[in-house]
Amino acid sequence: MTPWHWARAMALGLRVRLLLAFALLGVTTTAVVASGSYFQARTVILQQAQDAAVASLTDQLSKVYPVVSLPPSQEELEVLAQRLSDREVDAVVHYGDLWSHGTGAADVLTPELQREVAGGRVAWQRVNRYGTPVLLIGTQLRFERSDGTSVPSGVEVYSVRSLVTEQQSVDRLAELAWVTGGLSLVLAVLLALLAAQGVLRPVRELGRAARKLGEGDLSTRLTVRGVDELADVARTFNDTAGTLERQVGELRRMEADARRFVADVSHELRTPLAAMTAVTDVLDEEADRLPGDAGQAARLVSQETQNLTQLVNDLIEVSRFDSGTARLALDEVDVAAAVNATLRLRRWADRVHTDLPSGVIARLDPRRLDVIVANLVGNAFRHGTEPVSVRLRAEPDWITIEVADQGPGLDPEVLPHVFDRFYKADTARTRSEGSGLGLAIAWENARLHRHGGQSGSLVAGNTPDCGAVFTLRLPRAASETVDAGGVR
Amino acid sequence: MIRACRRRTALRRRVARTLLAGGLLLTLFTAGCGVRPSDVITGRAAVTGPSAGAGLYLISHGELALVLRATKPGPGPSSPTETLALLAAGPTPSERSAGLSSEVPPGVAPAQVTPSVDEPGITVTMSGAVLPLSTVAANQIICTVVFAVSGQGSAPVTIVGSDGTRPPWPCPLE
Repeated sequence: MTPWHWARAMALGLRVRLLLAFALLGVTTTAVVASGSYFQARTVILQQAQDAAVASLTDQLSKVYPVVSLPPSQEELEVLAQRLSDREVDAVVHYGDLWSHGTGAADVLTPELQREVAGGRVAWQRVNRYGTPVLLIGTQLRFERSDGTSVPSGVEVYSVRSLVTEQQSVDRLAELAWVTGGLSLVLAVLLALLAAQGVLRPVRELGRAARKLGEGDLSTRLTVRGVDELADVARTFNDTAGTLERQVGELRRMEADARRFVADVSHELRTPLAAMTAVTDVLDEEADRLPGDAGQAARLVSQETQNLTQLVNDLIEVSRFDSGTARLALDEVDVAAAVNATLRLRRWADRVHTDLPSGVIARLDPRRLDVIVANLVGNAFRHGTEPVSVRLRAEPDWITIEVADQGPGLDPEVLPHVFDRFYKADTARTRSEGSGLGLAIAWENARLHRHGGQSGSLVAGNTPDCGAVFTLRLPRAASETVDAGGVR
Repeated sequence: MIRACRRRTALRRRVARTLLAGGLLLTLFTAGCGVRPSDVITGRAAVTGPSAGAGLYLISHGELALVLRATKPGPGPSSPTETLALLAAGPTPSERSAGLSSEVPPGVAPAQVTPSVDEPGITVTMSGAVLPLSTVAANQIICTVVFAVSGQGSAPVTIVGSDGTRPPWPCPLE
């Protein structure tokens, strides 16, 4: 997993997604609720202030009546304006061309408000004056008549009232809304973390258990908590792991049975084979003297008995590896001498090119080394082309023996199966001269030698100029193995 | 490929939806914090109250303007006949200095104000000739009479003079 993948997984992870969802939900809800109540409260505040201001103005104006003289003089307008003004309110009185002045409040009067006032109704409007909100209220002074109608007197009164206190109240409301929103966001994040924890812990446990199962620990089980979907998943996981464990156990048992059967059969065959070998030895000596077909048949029987003996011996050897009873008989060995002895014993010394530096001493099982070298060289003679060469190389801790031939080499398709039991590279040739176990046994023997956590190895390959090459690698100071059974 | 495209479209749709929601919220927030200016709001009818003295209509800048004169103590308008006499007498010096004038000639007073005989309305019987009176002068007389006679808001007024009768006409003011 690259850092980029990791970052992406974190960014799109369950925790982050839950966090975002909760935060969004919290913010949206708070925004809707807070803004709704904010707007409503603001409307109420302003409406109350406006209504109170209008009522106060009309109350004061009703005390002007009865009017006894018209048109008013400038002084009368000023006096009226003075009467209507106070700390918060600037009043402007207007008649024809005359304006009460002294406050300069007449500038803010909007044309639409004046139009509405001239229409004979009390009208008001909020406007901005030098950045502060103000409320303009305007009304005519009219004379009532006994039939309920009224006529305009021509006098118009405007009051300009500052809305700064209302503005402050509204601002406090907004502050409160922001604080509420922030607190609810924090709460949402905390809740999200809590929820993510609740969801993520089972998921993480599930992941850990699945990994352990994948690594081969089939006894892994999860603790099922609760009755939710995750508990369902955990239960399913447990069922699956249980089934898997049962089936794998059965397979192992069957395999062990099969191996034991092979071992038993091999052992049972040994005694009759020994008798047969004794008989065929005699037959062999007499074969030349037997006439025609009888001599040939005697030689055939002798040959096949030898092959069968070899096969049974190989099977017994393989069974030992499988059952883990194969043990090393370690000894200090001059490797070159050991290899030469192997070749000489099988009368291959003249046919094999050797490159064996003397003086390479290794602590290993000489019998197994003999088996490996004999198998490799024999295999080279059988399937490759001469000349066959054997080279020994020594490293501080390891020795390497290469057995190469000049044949066509190994097919790439064959390479991975070279050490399989009874593997036939040439499918047309159903009966090979060997038992079909030689290389497998060589491989197991190589692995049996261990040193410092590493085991010996046998590798098949091809040389650059054609020809197969088997490379045996053994530790110079092998130790008794604990686990002898090789796992292919 | 198709799946990748679909995924990209879904992603784009999701991004668009998120942007839309965010924009909506933002507009909601900025749509008005604090006290916003408003349109004109109209309430009940303008402030009304009683007047005292005689109310007569003079002319200011070519338009009728109501003038109140304190003629007697106590509230309520004075009688129509007295008011018409005041109207015929013309503006006082202070009113004149305030830019008020009158087109009603002094000769029309005294006058009598009676309810019309065969139709709803008021009949004003003047002393002098009424046909030569300008429209403004007639309107002055009509509106002054209507203001003085209580309970006749929009009644038509017939002006009768020594030379004939003008057709009934209501006060052009509301």
